[in-house]
Amino acid sequence: MRIDVMAERCIGAGNCVEVAPSYFDQDDLNGTVKVLKDEVGEGDEAMVAGAADICPVAAILLSAQRSAHTA
Amino acid sequence: MTQIKSEHVWPFERSSPLDPPPLFAQLRSECPVSKVSTWNGSPAWLLTRFADIRALLVSPGVSSDLTLEGFPEPSATVAAARGGQKNFVRMDPPQHDIHRRMLAADFKIHHVAELRDYLDELVDRLLDRMEEQGGPVDLVDALAQPVPASVICKILDIPLERGDFFQDRVNTWMSLDNPPEVASQANRDIVAYFDQLVDERFDAMGDDLISRLIEGQVKTGKLAKTELLHILQLLLVGGFDTTANMIALGTLTFLQNPDQLAKLRENPDLVQGAVEELLRYLSVAHQVAFRLATDDIDVGGTCIHAGEGVIAPIAAANRDPEVFEDPDRFDITRDARRHLAFGFGLHQCLGQPLARIELQVVFGKLFQRFPALRLAEDAHTLDFRNSMIYGVAALPVTW
Repeated sequence: MRIDVMAERCIGAGNCVEVAPSYFDQDDLNGTVKVLKDEVGEGDEAMVAGAADICPVAAILLSAQRSAHTA
Repeated sequence: MTQIKSEHVWPFERSSPLDPPPLFAQLRSECPVSKVSTWNGSPAWLLTRFADIRALLVSPGVSSDLTLEGFPEPSATVAAARGGQKNFVRMDPPQHDIHRRMLAADFKIHHVAELRDYLDELVDRLLDRMEEQGGPVDLVDALAQPVPASVICKILDIPLERGDFFQDRVNTWMSLDNPPEVASQANRDIVAYFDQLVDERFDAMGDDLISRLIEGQVKTGKLAKTELLHILQLLLVGGFDTTANMIALGTLTFLQNPDQLAKLRENPDLVQGAVEELLRYLSVAHQVAFRLATDDIDVGGTCIHAGEGVIAPIAAANRDPEVFEDPDRFDITRDARRHLAFGFGLHQCLGQPLARIELQVVFGKLFQRFPALRLAEDAHTLDFRNSMIYGVAALPVTW
């Protein structure tokens, strides 16, 4: 499972940080979402899905694919 | 085809003080999207299901701008009180986002967590004072109001003596029993106070929140001075009655549910979950989440047309049995985190981390300090406030 965020939607509510603090934090300057790890570890799927669900602006997108990024 | 009823008039009556109006549950099962009349006779859609309320609040097709024709309000007094508010609660993007972002960093969870030591000391001191005084005391006066009053004075770096002035003006502004002009005047008094304060701090270059907003936003031309004053009004009213009423009603809820109180006392680690459950169960912001549709939107199979008003009560969402099993039961061990007590969508409460930490500290300490806390008078004598934020005027307790 991979995490992507639409940062421009983020209002800095921090609900994701409450639910999944190992995956989400807030930017110092404007409180918006910082993804700490974009690959979801085994066993954490439900917690991260909970964070995505609780986001008040639906800014967190989860996909089944593993990251295909290369440098 | 959904039946649309216009026979009900908003607001609805409660039949028991800590539960929402029973009409929510009735409508949710019979006619979950219906029409009601508001104070001036104009109609508004009323939603009652958690899923519909959430969807509405996150929809881009709604506005929070109450100056728009047809915007629903619960009463003439609220219309006047809210009409005096010109801050980002009543704005839409892009201006809403620009203003809100000026404050978001100050309300980051990790930043707010730095207040914990201050809150521990504050609450201990207030509980000490209660103990010295001896029961009976009015918990509203002794604890519920001083906690948020002190915190807001600390955050805005305002002398604590100002707390009484704020309490009085905010209570007046919030009361639904006052004529509209009285509410408007209370608001003007608050804004006038901040006007003077901002003038005093204008060249102070301090590192308090107000000085930083002056330096970073007003002097750079991003924010007008009047806009700053209205933002300060919002910070004041947003964090005041809300938290105070949660402390008072939360205490009452525990006193009326001794089995839950016993669980909290046996296991203090339950306090975080208990606070979420109190937020869900009480839903004190019972007159919020009014919107105007700006596009045609589909809600639960019903088309809400552009120009129509919508009421999306968080209290109805928070008692939806589809989401919360046995929703009318107060249960601190349930996972209540999906509640909408702080709203949803881009206007979701900015102060929620602050509210949470204040409530966690209070409920983490109150019953440990006063294990025999009980009401000093019969519950039926309590005066539940007719106010924009639901609460109780006084809570006499003893121990």
